[in-house]
Amino acid sequence: MNLLKITDLQTHFVFHDIDNYRREARALNKVNLNLNRGEILGIVGETGAGKSLTAQSICGLLRPPAKVVGGSVLFLGKELLSLAEEDLNDIRGAEIGMVVQNPKSSLDPLTRIGDQLVRIHQTHTASAVSVARSKAIAMMHAVGIPDPEKRFSAWPHELSGGMAQRVLIAMALMNEPKLLIADEPTTGLDVTVQAQILELLKDLVRRFEMGTIIITHDLGIVAHYCDKVAVMFAGEIVEYGTVTDIFRRPGHPYTKQLLASTPEKLKLNEAGSLGGQPPDLFNLPEGCLSQDRCSLASDQCRTPPPVITLETGQTVRCHFALQ
Amino acid sequence: MPPSVTHQFTWPRRTANRVRGLSRLSPTAAAGVVIIVCFGVLALFSEWFMTHDPVSSYPNRILQGPSFEHWFGTDGNGMDIFSRVIYGAKFGFGIAIPAVIIAVLIGIPVGLIAGYRGGALDEILMRIFDGLRVFPSIILALAVVAATGQSLLNVVLVLGFLDSPVFARLVRAEVLALRSSNFVESAIAAGNPTWRILFFHLLPNTIQGAMAQTAVRAAWAVRISATLAFLGIGIQAPTPEWGAMIRQGAEFMVTGQWWVAIFPGIALIFLVFGLNLLGDGIQDILDPRRRASK
Repeated sequence: MNLLKITDLQTHFVFHDIDNYRREARALNKVNLNLNRGEILGIVGETGAGKSLTAQSICGLLRPPAKVVGGSVLFLGKELLSLAEEDLNDIRGAEIGMVVQNPKSSLDPLTRIGDQLVRIHQTHTASAVSVARSKAIAMMHAVGIPDPEKRFSAWPHELSGGMAQRVLIAMALMNEPKLLIADEPTTGLDVTVQAQILELLKDLVRRFEMGTIIITHDLGIVAHYCDKVAVMFAGEIVEYGTVTDIFRRPGHPYTKQLLASTPEKLKLNEAGSLGGQPPDLFNLPEGCLSQDRCSLASDQCRTPPPVITLETGQTVRCHFALQ
Repeated sequence: MPPSVTHQFTWPRRTANRVRGLSRLSPTAAAGVVIIVCFGVLALFSEWFMTHDPVSSYPNRILQGPSFEHWFGTDGNGMDIFSRVIYGAKFGFGIAIPAVIIAVLIGIPVGLIAGYRGGALDEILMRIFDGLRVFPSIILALAVVAATGQSLLNVVLVLGFLDSPVFARLVRAEVLALRSSNFVESAIAAGNPTWRILFFHLLPNTIQGAMAQTAVRAAWAVRISATLAFLGIGIQAPTPEWGAMIRQGAEFMVTGQWWVAIFPGIALIFLVFGLNLLGDGIQDILDPRRRASK
């Protein structure tokens, strides 16, 4: 059984505009994903492609006007989308750990970090404060926070960005989740800290055998730390497969463009850039969503592209995947 | 060899910090603190300061002017005004503090829930509270106290309830700004039920503005309760309440016995003034921008 199985997940923003017209932005269009234990999946894509929205949909963190309108999210065979709030609360933070964006503002500013760790443990287990405390200190040690006994009573504003990120990861891991979702875990950190955090994450994933989703727009991170990668564009997964396959032989034109736009080994000037804009989510084009930005686009692209599985096992949503 | 100083007196650290903290207050806020502390001492230990029993009358000393025996004179019942003014501080605080506590206990949870839930619930709660704010508060308080029966308890309950929208609005505005913040999202993702998010995460982060308002709202409660008593609603003479005393003294003003109304009036003005200064002071302390500009 898959740890996480997402089928045809659709999330829309539905609201009424100032003239009371019903407006609908189709932000996630039939997302399909599978994740096994001990596997690291990277979700990449440009801003607005729906990466974070996918994570929020999984955890039930959507706020109106965002709404899941279709599909299913199976976590260990349980349908998360139809779960009652209380049952979902038993899973969130316990079996699913989430590291949300922006570490410095994701900690409650008026609670000492040790207490935040103790609290998240006590929310889900009936353990005594002393037990939770020693567990918190062990976890702070595990995520590489120096001098955890002393840092236990630090305030969030006393931490650097890297330390705050470590605390957030420690919080997500406090209850030894089976699934970890890290939404841009290293954005805004400098490169050496970035590498430390990701090495740490990878190490912890191996140790706890968690399934992990890392959301990022940094292809370098995906290449280094992930096993599988899903490329998102305009709320669709356009390509999905193992990192080796996709980086060696990208099947979708968008993935090719994305890979070609990475500055590599001092050849900065040769990095291409993607022209154009992502499509208007209120008014998606018929057929392939990336047709306006694709050099291969032809009349065929006005019909919805099939999802083609290549012999390597990667799936590509494109008419020309086999060429 | 000079004798070494073996023991030098130093203030305990916390006391020293507190004293320094007080001196950092602006002069007006410090004046507010001093006024409130004085009235607080008077209210708590009024027995120590009163020269006479505030409600026993001396039938042969009716309407005497200030003298050595009766410092503030006597009123129309022959009661000692000095003692009555001091005893009246008990009513000032005894009404204002519970009224503000009730307002906080109603207003803050409502503001939290309305701001966090939003939508129809928010609209309904806020429109009800707007409705309360539409009426001039004295008239509404008058009507409600007159309808529910004239007792001190009713005055306190009505004032607390009428004042709760102030706190609800303040907290709601803060919650609106914070409810989509990262740490709230992260708390939801950690599996916290809504009540824990409201009271463990949002409440401590939104309560500052409301706390700054408490002193100002206490001043309001003192003023309104005195007004009600002046109008003959709620507390009745001969109870030594300032509003009721001013009412009794008002009729003697025209015949020249000014001391009956003036002294409770001055006490009332000082208490309200002091509470307002204190409110400003709290705001100065809590607001880092105002603190930095000093």
